[in-house]
Amino acid sequence: MMLRCCPREAEVKALVERGQWPQACATELRKHVDSCRSCGELVLVTAAFQHARNHALGAARLGSPGLLWWRAQLRRRNAAVERISRPILSAQIFALAVNLVVAAAVAVWQARHGVAWLTWLEQLPHNMSLQWLTSLVPEGLFNSGAGSLTSPLVLVFASSTLLLVGGVVAYFASEKQ
Amino acid sequence: MFWESSIPNVLASDASLQASPAAAPPMDDEAFAAFYERSSRSLWAYLARTSGDPTLAEDIMQESYVRFLCLANPPSYLADGEVACRRYLFRIATNLLRDHWRRPRSASIEEMPENLFASVDEQAASDSQLILGPALAEMRPRDRQLLWLAHAEGYSHQEIAEITGLASASIRLLLFRARRKIAHLLQNQNRGRQA
Repeated sequence: MMLRCCPREAEVKALVERGQWPQACATELRKHVDSCRSCGELVLVTAAFQHARNHALGAARLGSPGLLWWRAQLRRRNAAVERISRPILSAQIFALAVNLVVAAAVAVWQARHGVAWLTWLEQLPHNMSLQWLTSLVPEGLFNSGAGSLTSPLVLVFASSTLLLVGGVVAYFASEKQ
Repeated sequence: MFWESSIPNVLASDASLQASPAAAPPMDDEAFAAFYERSSRSLWAYLARTSGDPTLAEDIMQESYVRFLCLANPPSYLADGEVACRRYLFRIATNLLRDHWRRPRSASIEEMPENLFASVDEQAASDSQLILGPALAEMRPRDRQLLWLAHAEGYSHQEIAEITGLASASIRLLLFRARRKIAHLLQNQNRGRQA
């Protein structure tokens, strides 16, 4: 298809768009449009589209701009909240992973030591110098064998940390829901 | 009326969002209402005539305005002017309409527009619909968009290229072909009506 455009197309198009065709144009231009295929098509198509546009403008179904503004604000807010909560979710996943690793490590450590912690638990009142507690329990309930003070303390701290972090994770998870 | 005040704390908690120039809306609510008043009719006309579905046009028009207000880097109403905002809006609507056409069709009976089942009333149908409607229906969706933007909205080739995302050089050829085709269809229609 040959792409041939008439140099007078712009002039004709402007007249049609302004609604001045054919009344307000020179006779010479009208004669040109009658003889020029490109301009004839332009007039036909532009007039049809302008007519359709004018009709459609009157038939437009419009909503409330306030409602659209409100929807946009809400969407922007949701997007911001989502952007902010993304790092929190990552932190929660990280905390959960750390918890699992610590729990697994403690489990392995305890498995290697058998049930030695039970012995330590029996000695706990003596080790922590809680003499008053020993007075509360019957004599002979706890063995007074020697035990390491360091490993039980580590276990206490590990358990406390586990409980604390677990609580924080549970809190964040419930808050998100 | 400020719409933010009608929704408590919608924006109050978003101090960082408001402070960020990238996330600021392109205009305030009053300017938006005025812009909407001036641009919505022509946007609806464009969407309704190129899609052939007034209900779809309404949905896409609303979504276009919401997306326009949520843009990360919107054209500034004050700096770029209303023409640039309007062009950007047409661009969003064009993309949404294209996405709609690309989506696989699985229309249920609930999704059908009501007027599809209404009897065709020749009196109610406007002259413009009778003249342009059948011819437009035979055109490809992209050609319908190009023709409407060029001949109904009066956009230049450069502006149409910005709106549609096509290369500016190819707009001229595509429009030329589309115009020739629709002119042929309109002439045939006229001849048929006269006969």
